[in-house]
Amino acid sequence: MTQKLTKVNFSNLDKILFPKVKVTKAQFIEYYIKAAPRMLPFLKDRPLVLTRYPEGVDKEGFYAKDAPQGIPDWVKTVTLYSHSAKRDVHYIICNDLDTLIWLANLAAVEIHMPLSRVPERERPDFAFFDVDPEPPCTFDDAKEVALLVKEKLDRFGFKSYVKTSGKKGLHVLVPVVKEYSFRETRDFVHGVGQQLMKESAVVVSEFKDTKTPGKVFVDYTQNSHGRTMVCPYGLRATPEATVSAPIEWSDLKKEIKPSEFTIQSVPRLQKEPWKNIFENRQKLEVK
Amino acid sequence: MEKKPRKTRKQEIVQEEKPVDKAEEAANLKRKPSRRPMWTGSVAIGLINVPIKLYPMIYDRGVTFHFLHKPDNAPLRYEKVCTKDNKVVPWPEVVKGYEVSKNQYVVFNKEELDAVKPESDKRIRIDKFIDYLSVDPVYFYSSYALMPDKSNDAYGLLLQALESIGKAGVGRITLRTKEYPVLVHAYKGALVLTTMRYGYDVVDPGGFEELKELKTPEKNELELAKKIIKDLSGEFDISEYKDTYRAKVEELIKKKLKGETITVEKPPKEEVKGLMAALQETLKQLEKK
Repeated sequence: MTQKLTKVNFSNLDKILFPKVKVTKAQFIEYYIKAAPRMLPFLKDRPLVLTRYPEGVDKEGFYAKDAPQGIPDWVKTVTLYSHSAKRDVHYIICNDLDTLIWLANLAAVEIHMPLSRVPERERPDFAFFDVDPEPPCTFDDAKEVALLVKEKLDRFGFKSYVKTSGKKGLHVLVPVVKEYSFRETRDFVHGVGQQLMKESAVVVSEFKDTKTPGKVFVDYTQNSHGRTMVCPYGLRATPEATVSAPIEWSDLKKEIKPSEFTIQSVPRLQKEPWKNIFENRQKLEVK
Repeated sequence: MEKKPRKTRKQEIVQEEKPVDKAEEAANLKRKPSRRPMWTGSVAIGLINVPIKLYPMIYDRGVTFHFLHKPDNAPLRYEKVCTKDNKVVPWPEVVKGYEVSKNQYVVFNKEELDAVKPESDKRIRIDKFIDYLSVDPVYFYSSYALMPDKSNDAYGLLLQALESIGKAGVGRITLRTKEYPVLVHAYKGALVLTTMRYGYDVVDPGGFEELKELKTPEKNELELAKKIIKDLSGEFDISEYKDTYRAKVEELIKKKLKGETITVEKPPKEEVKGLMAALQETLKQLEKK
């Protein structure tokens, strides 16, 4: 039975990965299996960066860019030069269910993806606003600022999408046609951030202000090929097993908390707020 | 009785020479009637005797394996070893002992036991006739086919009489050295003898402590349960039940004979079952896309 449905041989299924909410590795893998139809279109052809927690999220995890030893031959990889590691790295590409299950079996709790796909690594398909509240600012402040970003984008005629980061922030994305460089998407995001900074006392959008207390940083610096974003529907290594969940803009006007979106609740969500995101790839031209 | 182990060993060797035939034979589901009677005698009802021949009818068709020596695949033989000097004991030096208390035996030789063995008088003595269905299956042991032994008229008469009133004769038989209570009844156009257990060999399940805590069910609950039973009621058909383990093992035997190697499929654990259900659902969704 196992052989027919997946190539992956499961291991340590009764290991507790999220002790606070008592989620086992079996339940964790089941989450990624259920999320796969929604996740896979986002992951396709992106060299992934993983954070693995084989001993559980309360223990130390580790970043993994390079494919581990003994990788099955059916797992696709791409060899790219990593500027941070200063060497060639064999990145994992997850284009199918089996690879996603294999990643889950490695206890790759967090799956981070770049904003571009191979082979056009310099051509992002998203412009990414990382809305990050610095305490004492909270998720509620992030909601407010994300809505300001949306209004601004609406005014310029851009359709945008929002997801929770799975922690305290929000991610706003504009799907773009693959004609721009990271410099161009970065400048675009930075430009929007700078305008908002003028209009709102709480917004900052300069790199030097990253950690300014009581401000919400609209981070443009993530628009770079070395950077990654936690993938939509991806889990976070939080005690509550939260998910970076795509949501409706209207949800931000409600009393929502990032902790509502978890390994248990997200599979039950019927709505697919990002369903047509790739049919709305836009040109970065102000109409 | 004592020579049985050796006989079995001979059969083992014969079967190993023709494993193909065994697999083929196993594929034939219906047993052919045995040609030689295992017992001859008569059914005695009062002063009437109906001569019959008795044939085996029940075969346990489970899969049997033999122990072999791993390095050379030679069959293993059991030896009787004396627990005192660890030496193999030949048959002539074997006697029977009844353990009266720990390590205390009353010893018998063959002659002493043979003297008290029940003598078969070649009769199946019928004491009375009862409703066949009034005997609970817990007493049933094994069944044998009774065939007429140059007594077609009497046999046919008894068979038809039993068939038409739905009764069975209860009586006794001595088979080999053991006396059994028996039923003689009609089954599929033949007389069949079923040996039974003695009453003292069967536990009365009503004596279990657990039953003392049973509550009287509510009336509506009982009605519902009865309804479910009625809805699921049907005709008994034994062909609906197959030994799937046996079928799988036979399949494996055929594969091995063809020289195929067998990969062991581990049975999925509980957790894996949940994952498999999720996988099936996801695969369905991905197919639609």
